[in-house]
Amino acid sequence: MATVRLTNVTKRFGQTLAVDDLSLDVADGELVTLLGPSGCGKTTSLRMLAGLVEPTSGRIFFDDQDVTFVPPRSRNIGFVFQTPALFPHLSVADNVAFGLSVKGQKKAIVAPRVDQMLALVGLSDYGARLPAQLSGGQQQRVALARVLATDPRVLLFDEPLSALDRNLRDSLKYSILDLQRQTRKTAVYVTHDQSEAFAISDRIVVMNAGHVEQIGTQTDIYLHPQTPFVAEFIGATNGFAGKITATDGGAGDTGRLVVSADGLTLRCRSRGELALGDDVLVYLRPENVVVLNDGDGSGYENVVEGVIDRVIFEGPTAQLRVDVGGREIRADVSGGERLTLVERHGRVRLGFNDLTLIPARRS
Amino acid sequence: MTARRLVDIASHAYVWFILVVFVVPFAALLVYSFTGPGGTYAIANFQYVLGSFRDNLVWSFRISGLTLLLDLLIALPAAYALVRYPFPGKRLLFSGLTLPLYVPGAVIGISLILVYNFTYHLTTSEWGLVLAMTIGTFPLMLLPIVVALKDLPTVFEEAAECLGATRWQTFWRIVFPLIGPGVSAGLMLSFIIVFNEYLVTLFVHPPNITTAPLRVFNLVRTAGLAPTTAALAVTMQLISFAAVLLFFKVFGTRYLKGTYLI
Repeated sequence: MATVRLTNVTKRFGQTLAVDDLSLDVADGELVTLLGPSGCGKTTSLRMLAGLVEPTSGRIFFDDQDVTFVPPRSRNIGFVFQTPALFPHLSVADNVAFGLSVKGQKKAIVAPRVDQMLALVGLSDYGARLPAQLSGGQQQRVALARVLATDPRVLLFDEPLSALDRNLRDSLKYSILDLQRQTRKTAVYVTHDQSEAFAISDRIVVMNAGHVEQIGTQTDIYLHPQTPFVAEFIGATNGFAGKITATDGGAGDTGRLVVSADGLTLRCRSRGELALGDDVLVYLRPENVVVLNDGDGSGYENVVEGVIDRVIFEGPTAQLRVDVGGREIRADVSGGERLTLVERHGRVRLGFNDLTLIPARRS
Repeated sequence: MTARRLVDIASHAYVWFILVVFVVPFAALLVYSFTGPGGTYAIANFQYVLGSFRDNLVWSFRISGLTLLLDLLIALPAAYALVRYPFPGKRLLFSGLTLPLYVPGAVIGISLILVYNFTYHLTTSEWGLVLAMTIGTFPLMLLPIVVALKDLPTVFEEAAECLGATRWQTFWRIVFPLIGPGVSAGLMLSFIIVFNEYLVTLFVHPPNITTAPLRVFNLVRTAGLAPTTAALAVTMQLISFAAVLLFFKVFGTRYLKGTYLI
């Protein structure tokens, strides 16, 4: 049972501002993901939570205890690194036992606990092996067991799946989530992979260049990105700069408005703070673009016509690049659909709703 | 016969030539150590090694052991500080610590006599000799440990600390075993140097201590090269050789990387 709170945490490395005024509350048992590109400050934030890095200013609390300058060994945390970081000279069982044995626990207490933890991660028979005799995925499971054995207050994950191949990543991702749910541990998880973040988080903190861009649930972040950075980072790769040229006067989010962007006329749902004549950015996610059959266009607020530029086959999905009046619109279609599209090479009509509007920054 | 074959033969010949140049003196010494009066074969020469030379070998082992211990006590913390912590004057300190590598043994000997005589009055004690050896071999202990530590990712120390280990526990339970090959390389190099060193010993040894190499030197100087002296020299050579073999037997080629992490 533990909550985590960061208040106005800032970290400078010399002249570089790594983390800029980060404030965050993590509820007991919650899994919060710090998501962002490399160099955005997410790992530094996590290392400050662990005590491996001291903040330049700001405070960090576990429950009501100020741990800002408490060394890692006294924080009772479980840190899972990018590499499994198993001690190569110790057996798997000794690795799992390490956290307990340095606390002076008796062998009689440690041994059953080790068995229990190895069973939890599905590696009961591997205790006697050396880490080098395990696969990468198994090693990372042992790292999890090692961390859970000490019954930590807070779990911290620093891109624990990034060194693994894709299939392993998927299965281990859900193992981590299951273990976190089972043990009801408060967890902070760092990743640069948005699908990983969407899959396991209760809440996501999108970070960029040291500061927080947006904090919200998966749905918040996915459907209502608040900044151009968030929209682009979660994969809304179709972006247009435009101006609001008409509104139906509907209040808040219920009205419709028309945006003229680069020769395209786009209809979308209004947003409270926007008014006629405002500069806006319009984002469209490739997975929301539908290739229409000839003549059909009902159900879509926006229908545009273009010429297929490229079809990039990626297995289950295919990426379509369509030239619409000199502008490229990307559409994700299913791998099977691609085959029919190749035959129909040439002109297509695209339909889409659900545009995301973000006020353009006036600077 | 093609030109390629000629080159082949020439390169083999070159390798064998070099080998002979290196090995012949040692082989000659070995043969000589078995030579009895009038050119006969005499294993009896080696009885002196366990007889009148025994004390000299014991002194050599004892001085070596104490020196290695002292070397290790200084080099471990020094290497850890040099590799893991940033501090001003680090490069200067490192150069200072490795200085004895570039200073001739005779210069070290003279300097120590000067310092010992006027300050510590250590010229005539066993510890004076051990200190002199430590100064001379310390860089050989330090360098492999520094290399091993540099190769050891900090993530292991971080993982240990996050699991609740103190710095002391982290060092002895994680870092020390993982830099084991580096430490052993340092021990091996230092042992071979200390065990065989006669020049520095010549300067600072107390009258009652004569190490094996010093004994060889004294005997050759006063009585010429006797087969019994050759037997002592061969024994010293075998001991050094055994140290190297033992090292490679235990650590294989892992020491080249400095750590276990290959």
